[in-house]
Amino acid sequence: MDLSRVFFTGNSTMNLERMPNEEKLSLCRRYYLGGFAFLPFLWLVNVLWFFKEAFLKPAYTEQPQIKSYIKKSALGLILWVAVLTTWITIFQHFRARWGEVGDYLSFTIPLGTA
Amino acid sequence: MRKMTDLISINCVKLLISALFYTCVLCSSVEQKIYVVLNETVPCVRLLNATHQIGCQSSISGDTGVLHVLETESDLDWILSSGPHPPYMVIMETAFFNRSVMMRMKNSSRVAGVAVIISKTGLADNFSPHTTCPNQNTGVYSESYGSDLANCNGTVWNPLGNGLSYEDFSFPVFALKDENQTQVLRKCYEDHNQRVNGSAPQYPLCAMQLFSHMHAVTDTVTCMRRTDLQNRFSINPEVLCDPLSDFNVWTSTRPLNNSAKGHAADESVVIAATRLDGRSFFWEQAPAAEGTVSGIVTLLATIQALYPVTQEAPPPRNIFFSFFQGEAFDYIGSSKMVYDMEKNDFVIDMNNVHSMLEIGQVGLLSGRSLWMHSDPVSRQNKSVDTEVSEMMSRIQSAAAGLKLTVDHPSVSQPLPPSSFQRFLRARRIPGLVLADHNTSFTNRYYESMYDDAENLNVTYPPGLTPDEQLVYETDAAKSLAEVATLVARSLYLQAGGEENNLNNITADPKIVAQLLYGFLVQKNNSWFRSLLPPEVTKKGVNSILSPGPPQFYIGLGPRVHGPAHSVTRFVQYILANLTGTVTNLTESQCQNPSELSTENKDLFSYFWVSGPASVNGTREPFCVRASVRLSKAVSPAFELLEYGSRNYSTWTESRWKSIRARIFLVASRELERKDAFAGRLSDSPAQRRTSRCAAGWRSVLHSGWDSDCLRHCADHPLLQIKDAFVWR
Repeated sequence: MDLSRVFFTGNSTMNLERMPNEEKLSLCRRYYLGGFAFLPFLWLVNVLWFFKEAFLKPAYTEQPQIKSYIKKSALGLILWVAVLTTWITIFQHFRARWGEVGDYLSFTIPLGTA
Repeated sequence: MRKMTDLISINCVKLLISALFYTCVLCSSVEQKIYVVLNETVPCVRLLNATHQIGCQSSISGDTGVLHVLETESDLDWILSSGPHPPYMVIMETAFFNRSVMMRMKNSSRVAGVAVIISKTGLADNFSPHTTCPNQNTGVYSESYGSDLANCNGTVWNPLGNGLSYEDFSFPVFALKDENQTQVLRKCYEDHNQRVNGSAPQYPLCAMQLFSHMHAVTDTVTCMRRTDLQNRFSINPEVLCDPLSDFNVWTSTRPLNNSAKGHAADESVVIAATRLDGRSFFWEQAPAAEGTVSGIVTLLATIQALYPVTQEAPPPRNIFFSFFQGEAFDYIGSSKMVYDMEKNDFVIDMNNVHSMLEIGQVGLLSGRSLWMHSDPVSRQNKSVDTEVSEMMSRIQSAAAGLKLTVDHPSVSQPLPPSSFQRFLRARRIPGLVLADHNTSFTNRYYESMYDDAENLNVTYPPGLTPDEQLVYETDAAKSLAEVATLVARSLYLQAGGEENNLNNITADPKIVAQLLYGFLVQKNNSWFRSLLPPEVTKKGVNSILSPGPPQFYIGLGPRVHGPAHSVTRFVQYILANLTGTVTNLTESQCQNPSELSTENKDLFSYFWVSGPASVNGTREPFCVRASVRLSKAVSPAFELLEYGSRNYSTWTESRWKSIRARIFLVASRELERKDAFAGRLSDSPAQRRTSRCAAGWRSVLHSGWDSDCLRHCADHPLLQIKDAFVWR
């Protein structure tokens, strides 16, 4: 796997316009698979970057596959956001009430408030 | 081209440096123009025990409110409901510092903090912020021992107590002790915040900000757990609270071998005890005159009276004198000593103890009568009852030759709160508590800031120099000397001494007068200075000999926040003076006496003391040998790591970063918002002048609402107040 391609995402020479379609597909797949390693931000980047490619460009051979990857990435992203939001809300609300458990789960405990 | 760019960049750098210099050098003086710092304030801090938190807390960046002086009932309505500029910072006159007003403040959301004026004018007839039943959960009376006497069902000891010290306030409460500073606050209030003809005052208003953010929350268990977690896992560990701890002081008529712990062979000991500490609503303020000093002075005078006779004609039993620290907080010192005795970690153990006599509050004798309190539950046992009755008859026979009458309250009455209760929890030994009250306390200011020399009737005629006041024998001194003589003779009889030696046992009223002066009026006096080591008498500001009377709050051992605890040291060195012998050891020998064969470090302690000042001011220090020792007074709960213990004291004091107070003028919210977003668009010459002023300072603003103050800059009215306060 060509990691240099994966990491140079912000480089101005890495322009999707000049990439052949097979390379676009493989990049999209790499980001999709990478997101399963507890990296939801890869899915976020995937959705944002390839959205125009998948839905707004005129059709080409690889586009249906890119579309499916984008849809699945978006689904995974929404799931992660829901889980994290729920957990963060519960923790912030109930940490004080949990007493000992709350303290063991915390990295920094605020001074002077419960 | 290149030279031009270089020149431009050099000029830019110069401009930047001079601008920074301009703003940085002058920004501190801007802060001085805005804020007037209040130096002489005393905070109320947070204390925690196994289940609760008490005291006061402010927000982390201070609580700010518009000043209002609470003098009348209409002021109270203004603060709590009708005033248009909440939240208010209340300056409370002395008469309003009671439970009902403070509870209303606590339940209101319009109060940002309270500053209480501490003075004798307007003081009510009684004020005790302590509970009605002191130490009710850690005494001897419980469900299993005298259940009908527990929780003050039998006698309410402190009926005037309003329990304010044990409430939890979510706003800061400070005490204003300095009259000049209170005047500054009143002037600021009168100039800006006073109502004119019933209409609300206009902005800018005088405001006060109090900082007293406490780190600990909930209770000791939580605080200790978080401290442990911090110490183990955090990069920058912070301690959140510290257990209250200090030292007990003890001595004995026959020296005890300090290195031999556990049961002492052939020793039958009579314990004479009293407490060393007090407390009040505010941090480190506890004059504790009737509550504590009366007991300390009496026991010290007793030791002075008894010591010569016990050396010439020693009684069969040893007499063990003990001063317990931390008794106000669930008997820290006495529970620790009993715990050590039971664990065989002390010079004696419970089997050595024959009986106990405790000196409670003995300063306010009404009609010259003392009361001997005993425990009815242990007296149900025949042998204990006989012993207690014999003890009472000995005390009465000792009182026969004196002008005091001693009586005992009704047999079913329980013991008042006393260290003897902790000894009874361990074993039912015979004992008595001497006090000046029959049922409830005669002290109307128990554990408050007003329990001072005046409460004990220790007043000196005007026109005396400090040295004359030191030796002046007030009536209180004579009365306490009588009590001390009685206690000394009773102890001698209790220890099995001969009756014909009794007349040689008399307490010296002069020593009592000196002790009262030192403990109630001025600790930096010539007698105390001669008793203490030279490094203490020479030290600067943080010495234990700072001016004024000593405060009896127990504190945190090796002091985290302030100077070393004075009272324990004073009692230790006074005992060394009264019971010790002068040796001719040199200073280095005094520090290491074990090298000499004639000196015994196990039986005695060696103190290097200053000695009296000669005519030309020099002192000749010498070494005193005495059998006075300190023993650690920290609650056994912290040794056993049972922070939620129900049996032992679990009191801790929270830590904090900074405690301070300041006043300044504050602008209305609309003006702040306008200032923050719009520029200076007004045409008036005044505003143009001040706008020039304000524009340059804008970069040093750290909070938007100071902008209005800066607008007035040099002709700031607060500056005049500040000048009056600073250059006096």
